[in-house]
Amino acid sequence: MMESVTAIREALPYLLQGSLVTLGLVAGALGLGLLVGTALAVGQVYGSPWVRRLVFVYVWFFRGVPLLVLLFLFYFGLFTLFRINISAFTASVVVLGLISAAYQSQILRGSILSLPEGQMKAAKALGMSHFESIFFIILPQAFRLSVPGWSNEYSIVLKDTAVSYALGVMEVMARAHFVASRTYEHLPLYFTAGVIFLILTYGGTRALRFLEDRVRIPGYSQR
Amino acid sequence: MMNEKKIILQVEKLTKRYGDKEVLKDASFSIREGELKILIGPSGGGKSTLLQCINFLVKPNAGRVFLDGREVLYSRKRDLYNYRQKVGMIFQDFNLFDHLTALGNVEIALVRVKKMSRDEARVRASAELDRVGLGDHVEKYPAQLSGGQKQRVSIARALAMDPEVMLLDEPTSALDPELISEVLAVIRDLRSNGMTMIMSTHQISFAGEMADEILFMENGIIVEAGPPKKLFAQAECQRTREFFMKIAEIYGESR
Repeated sequence: MMESVTAIREALPYLLQGSLVTLGLVAGALGLGLLVGTALAVGQVYGSPWVRRLVFVYVWFFRGVPLLVLLFLFYFGLFTLFRINISAFTASVVVLGLISAAYQSQILRGSILSLPEGQMKAAKALGMSHFESIFFIILPQAFRLSVPGWSNEYSIVLKDTAVSYALGVMEVMARAHFVASRTYEHLPLYFTAGVIFLILTYGGTRALRFLEDRVRIPGYSQR
Repeated sequence: MMNEKKIILQVEKLTKRYGDKEVLKDASFSIREGELKILIGPSGGGKSTLLQCINFLVKPNAGRVFLDGREVLYSRKRDLYNYRQKVGMIFQDFNLFDHLTALGNVEIALVRVKKMSRDEARVRASAELDRVGLGDHVEKYPAQLSGGQKQRVSIARALAMDPEVMLLDEPTSALDPELISEVLAVIRDLRSNGMTMIMSTHQISFAGEMADEILFMENGIIVEAGPPKKLFAQAECQRTREFFMKIAEIYGESR
């Protein structure tokens, strides 16, 4: 028992540094996912049949292939093939971001489709272009409706970052494994790693709920 | 005197089909500066389609629209967007932007479309909201406003763009009876200030009192047009007479 406590105490600073790496992965992936996902959602709702088909294939691919396969495919396969020289960290951000984009696009798409048709008509009747109507009228409302869905997406991406350990990114899981395999204190270390993830999930969800309250509009329903 | 006023908007043989069904057939009319034309007719008769075809929210299959004598070339995007700025539109269900306050609703097109500065837009938007009697409600969101107030915000939003003509698509049909009069009062006020308007409505007594001309529409066709007195008293078409009789029964003839 004493050994366990000591092991945790000694490894804790090292693991907590890893949680910064984990948070970096999450922030990068969610940010990239938001950008790409927004473009995908707009393309899927308002694009030509051709664009829609393309988005469909994208979403189908990134939701259909396992994370670990995608990580290896991109890092050892595509990035090497095209001689793109990036770190394992960046590669993980890119892959996690592209996957998250697929999921985020579907959250946002649902929100866009739930808006009354009249919003677009009213924007156009004022002389806004198609793009301006989407950018200034549709998206600000759709983003608000999407916050609860993102809260869910945040915790999924957070948990998915642990897989980037397979590329050698020194996030929480990789560090726990590293220490455990040297000290043989498997239980306390993986337990601590789990608790760190729980705390990060809780904190992030709370932060998003705070955001939800900040952007709340009186009488505007948020599911 | 009337005839010396220039023609603002002219509509020529507008036609809209959905599949085989023609919902608008060869609709033609013109409206002079300061006139109020009122479209009357049964629901599904093509009033709303006509209004939405005029500013191309619904793309007509055939026909032309002229503003100030110039044809609107609506397939050119820029021309279309510029044209729509000059044609205000009021919808039956208001279509206020739900994420913006009353002030924000009026401001946004001034800033984004007219490229006004924020301060300029704010001053102008406040003035328009004052004009429709909502000076005390500028910071409220649509969900905090009554139906009549929402419709007045949407009128202020359209007016802020300095339209040459306004299209009003059953502006009072979604309102509680008590709230109708506050919106009609604003429209009456616009009329006396010389705004050119085309409005569809079931408010027959308002039409009789305010319209320069009533267009009776059914099955996508403008069946008959004329000044209210003439149409009420001696409509040429049997169907028009029947419609006015019936609607007078429902809504009452009293003013």
